[in-house]
Amino acid sequence: MFFFASKEMKKKKILIIEDDTFLLKLYSDKLKREGFDVLKSLTGEEGLNKVLSEKPDLVILDIILSRRSGFEILSEMKLNPKMKKIPVIILTNLGQKSDIKRGLDLGAVAYLVKTDFSVNQLPKLIKEHLAKKKK
Amino acid sequence: MKKSKSHKLGEVISIVSHQFKTPLSAIKGYLEVLIAGDLGKINKDQKDYLQDTLENTNRMISLVKDLLDVSRVEQGRLELKKTSSDLEKIIKRVIKEISPFARANNCSISFKVLNEIPRLNIDSLKIEQVVCNFISNAVSYSKGKGKGKAMVRVELQKKGKDVIFCCQDNGIGIADEDRGKIFNKFYRSEKAMVLAPGGSGFGLFISKAIIEKSQGKIWFKSKKGKGSTFCFSLRAKK
Repeated sequence: MFFFASKEMKKKKILIIEDDTFLLKLYSDKLKREGFDVLKSLTGEEGLNKVLSEKPDLVILDIILSRRSGFEILSEMKLNPKMKKIPVIILTNLGQKSDIKRGLDLGAVAYLVKTDFSVNQLPKLIKEHLAKKKK
Repeated sequence: MKKSKSHKLGEVISIVSHQFKTPLSAIKGYLEVLIAGDLGKINKDQKDYLQDTLENTNRMISLVKDLLDVSRVEQGRLELKKTSSDLEKIIKRVIKEISPFARANNCSISFKVLNEIPRLNIDSLKIEQVVCNFISNAVSYSKGKGKGKAMVRVELQKKGKDVIFCCQDNGIGIADEDRGKIFNKFYRSEKAMVLAPGGSGFGLFISKAIIEKSQGKIWFKSKKGKGSTFCFSLRAKK
């Protein structure tokens, strides 16, 4: 079993784009403890550059960000063949139905409202979407 | 057009409430991680304290959400997204959610559907908010009535073109001097403040706005010391 572990067990790379340092630390520490390789970005622009350069397996994306909004980043990702297959989970405090519809219409695989969601559910959700991506 | 004072206040409340959500999300998240034992085992007392802190954080989050709803009502920005929905299912879900709270207050909740209920074209989340407000109020204000078990009766029926939801309790009732103010924002009777100290006084104000925006009607019947019945009606889908 051990000899194919390196291929099967390769750490999945998750990019978190979140402008609040406390939340960024919370999500990042949680995912690291669950065995993910975590990349972080505090701004939308830096986040988009990291998506291109680091090719993460999945992106956790906030909406209200400095420089470029999460919606802009998501639109750009879905228009670019190099990024469009990367699943994006929106994690924001914008909970109006129009925002949720916009995020899902733009191609996010899930839309979560921070105040209604438990951080303890995040690793499981990521694993589910990574498994779907594999199929 | 010049903005009214209440419109400006609504804008301020909206901005401040949004600003509160981020730090509250962080506090909630850190507490959840600690309670889950991610950073090491915690003893029962520590867990109880953390859980109480989390409960209070969730209360603050609810208050912030209510404030945002109030500001949307004040600014005429209350948004409804109507879809074909099953009101009976919504009510059952709410009762299931409230049941532990009712049990803790020695209160039983019954639910009767008097005839066949058609699907309604409503904003299911917003109507669920109203149903939840009515039933949780009924449970809260049934407390402290004295002897006898607190009972909440929920009924749903179709009458003519309308579907009517009613929630009856055998609680403290509403005093005559409070009757005209019950749907006002921030208003809470003296008894309400004692029986449900965590309440904000926004619930019925928001409920009224949601029902009226849904082209429905909202009303109540009550007698001090004899309990209250809160109802709303919604037009059945054509």
